[in-house]
Amino acid sequence: MSSFLLQTILNGILAGCIYSLFAMGLTLIYGVLNFVNFAHGELIMWGAYFLYFLMQRPLNLPLPFALLPALFLTVLLGLGSDRLIFKPLRKANRLTLLITSLGLSFLLRNGAQLFWGAEIRTYGLEIKKGMKFLGMSITSNQVAIMVVSILCIFLLYLFFYKSRMGKSMRAISDDLELARVMGIPSDRTIQWTWVIASSLAGLGGVLLALDTNLHPGMGLINLVKAFAATLLGGVGNLWGALFGGMVIGLAENISIWILSPGYKDAIAFGIMVVMLLSRSSAVFSSKE
Amino acid sequence: MRKIIYPLIFILFAFSFSYSYAQETYKIGAAFALSGSIAVYGEGFKKAVDLAVEEINASGGIKGRKIEIIYEDNKSTPKDCVTAVRKLITVDRVPVIFGPAASSNFMAAAPVAQENKVVMISAEGAAPGLTKAGEYIFRVFPSDVLQGKGISDLCLQLNYKEVPVMYVNNDWGMGLKNVFVENFKKAGGHVMDEIPYDEGKTDYRTELIRAIKGNPKAVVNLTYIKEGAVMFKQAYEMNIKVQWICGSAAKSPKLVELAGKAVEGIIGTYPVFSQETKEYKAFRAAWKKKYGDEKIPIFAEYNYDMVYLTAKAIEKGGYTSEGIRKALFEVAKGYRGVTGDKTFDQDRGVGSEYGVWTIKDGQIVDYKKK
Amino acid sequence: MDLFLHLCIMSLIYIIFALSLNLEVGYTGLFNFGHVAFFGIGAYTSALLTLHHFPFEISLLMALFLSGVSGFLLSLPSLRLRGDFFGIATLGFGEIIRMAFQNEVWLTKGPMGLPGIPKPKLLSIRFATLPQYLLLTLGFATLTFLILRGIIRSPFGRVLKGIREDEIAAEALGKNVYRFRIKSFVVGSIFAGLAGVLWGHYTTFISPNDFTIIETVLVLLIVVLGGKGTEWGPILGAILLIFFQESLRFLRLPPEYSRYLAPLQQMIFGSLLILMMRFRPEGLIKERREHGCLS
Repeated sequence: MSSFLLQTILNGILAGCIYSLFAMGLTLIYGVLNFVNFAHGELIMWGAYFLYFLMQRPLNLPLPFALLPALFLTVLLGLGSDRLIFKPLRKANRLTLLITSLGLSFLLRNGAQLFWGAEIRTYGLEIKKGMKFLGMSITSNQVAIMVVSILCIFLLYLFFYKSRMGKSMRAISDDLELARVMGIPSDRTIQWTWVIASSLAGLGGVLLALDTNLHPGMGLINLVKAFAATLLGGVGNLWGALFGGMVIGLAENISIWILSPGYKDAIAFGIMVVMLLSRSSAVFSSKE
Repeated sequence: MRKIIYPLIFILFAFSFSYSYAQETYKIGAAFALSGSIAVYGEGFKKAVDLAVEEINASGGIKGRKIEIIYEDNKSTPKDCVTAVRKLITVDRVPVIFGPAASSNFMAAAPVAQENKVVMISAEGAAPGLTKAGEYIFRVFPSDVLQGKGISDLCLQLNYKEVPVMYVNNDWGMGLKNVFVENFKKAGGHVMDEIPYDEGKTDYRTELIRAIKGNPKAVVNLTYIKEGAVMFKQAYEMNIKVQWICGSAAKSPKLVELAGKAVEGIIGTYPVFSQETKEYKAFRAAWKKKYGDEKIPIFAEYNYDMVYLTAKAIEKGGYTSEGIRKALFEVAKGYRGVTGDKTFDQDRGVGSEYGVWTIKDGQIVDYKKK
Repeated sequence: MDLFLHLCIMSLIYIIFALSLNLEVGYTGLFNFGHVAFFGIGAYTSALLTLHHFPFEISLLMALFLSGVSGFLLSLPSLRLRGDFFGIATLGFGEIIRMAFQNEVWLTKGPMGLPGIPKPKLLSIRFATLPQYLLLTLGFATLTFLILRGIIRSPFGRVLKGIREDEIAAEALGKNVYRFRIKSFVVGSIFAGLAGVLWGHYTTFISPNDFTIIETVLVLLIVVLGGKGTEWGPILGAILLIFFQESLRFLRLPPEYSRYLAPLQQMIFGSLLILMMRFRPEGLIKERREHGCLS
């Protein structure tokens, strides 16, 4: 029985790592640009599909060589969407931006469906049996997910605490009041924000697809979890996003033992509602 | 004002002209899933229908008139199924429609066909109450009432008296699960746990862990291709060693393509028809000739039979829905199609035997008890 | 002809649905992304009651009541949120409701859906055929339009607009912003429930698949495209979108290509939203701004 529990916790941590990567990108965009990017899920999905594209005919690149170009393309997509769509709306209110990103999400998701169809796809790597460890099974892909997530968090830490750009970004992101006083951040800051958020999304998408499969709807499903993680951790707060992602990943998986698994997806929303009721987060408007 | 009216009259004329011209063929409606979540299936069905139509037309059509299929996309949603069927009935005025695939989609559209007294046929719908909407609704695919019992019998035959059941949480999965549980309990089996799961997810690990709590020897998993591929892969990675028992919807080469050696050795039931009959061999040869491969998609044979039955019914009863409805019973009586005997029962459905498939060395083959 | 009547009925149902959302989005500035939940609650309540042989009048009233009550309960915590997080919270609520339809099998039959919902009988008149049903929806749509217009033109409606424009000023004038928003949200939910009732009894079959986020996006697009915060905008938007969607069927594309048609259509919807926000955020019909509406 305890090995079941351990395995459940491991599954939760794995899911949590991926949610965290998504949530950190989402919260960063929110912190710096002050809007909720609905299309973040589509960056995740396109990241995975870019890798798929590079690994298929005619290019047939092996995975290690295809990874960086795929991330690069995802970053281009992120920067492109900012340049073409969000930049002209810099002064618009948040709700305009929210609807715009909802439209962009629709556009990108169906774009992927147009090219690759609605069916599920796989990178076609060989399936391996997991290693036994304390009664749990863990595959090398899953180890990679955890290592990459920890590495990303470490790199982000360095960036945000050691570089000047990172420090100013963090200052804007952590303190929404300050951000408002300072007005619109510089183009360079914004571009870096997109670069980081898109790479996190692309990387998360690739890891998710390596562990599971590719599907045009894969971004949207997980984005909702990332929203909840963001709310849970406090909006704009990077470490909060990490924490929120982990909590949701664990809670979801543990819930399967308690509730009907049909409600697995409702857990994230349930947590969100509890957060709203408990008033302990930074998301309340009070007198804004 | 005249400037507008004359072109309008002209356009109307053109329309009515093209309309009367189109009457030269026997038109049959097909509200298929050409896009949306189950478009993967829809494409295969369409290929099968096209093949049958081509054959019938090549041999002179129905009394010299050709058949023409009017495809309408149902976008895999109930709402658009209703619209597609309405369009086929009112704009194309077809007396017979090949209905949507998923049972819930079919059941949303069936009352519309019934109300308008238009025959609607399903070649894939397995839900037990599928044809309840009325006497114009038929199916050439066996009901899951039979398959649920088939799975239950299979478990007992293999001496699995205690199994948990996992099912995809939609109309098909739940319908089949209910029949299975009912039969299994009646036969003295014990259902250890019931685990519904959502379609289209990427992570089913903890659901799998819950299923193997209590160390069952076998797990019944009523899954689709997509979800099955994810689950069996993750089960393999987690070193879960149980005998998987599936239904008919997972029996597809696509499953092997997606999940590779993780699906080796799973077994499942499916409505069986002999592949040794001359009808089946002719069908397979025709398929290969037209499409260049032998990858016959799931349920293609049923769609193929549906077209032939409909053509025969038009020939016998005339090109009216009332005629087709009555003639369907007569032409189907004792009809040997690719999928075997197609005689309709009083609920306008067909019977079938159930066989067992398994995956061996990456191929779907008939299961033989060791 | 029947197809035309069908599309008219669909348009009218979406007009009611869009008008109710317009009260929230357009006049109160509440971006509700879970509006489809109330549509679903209305549809399920009325369907279940009439299937248990309650008269349509009672089922309808119960459906409206339950939509309103659930709207009220949801609004209490979520309206304390800032605009965009309110949107996400309502989105979550919409999904939870859909999952409840899917999983509470004892009540809703889950994914099997509810077939055989009877056609409504109101004041001993049965609305069974298409023209009859068209009359019924037309009646309800007109009623919805008039009631909502009455609300918007009333002093209450002016306060709503005032809050949307300048929350702080409204509060300074002693208006309880929170309460006004709750009222607006509840009214919107009730009319969304009405649209759901009409939809359920029209198709006679409902299942959880009818109430996904795609519906919310569609109705949001209707409001934004037509012109949010205007009386006629949602009506124009609904007619345009419903007929545009279906006109694609008459393109007579070879069926091989219709695989591309649906994603393409959704891509057009997405692009439309983006372009509208960029170049004409006010929609096709522009709202006339009144000044000094906080009288």
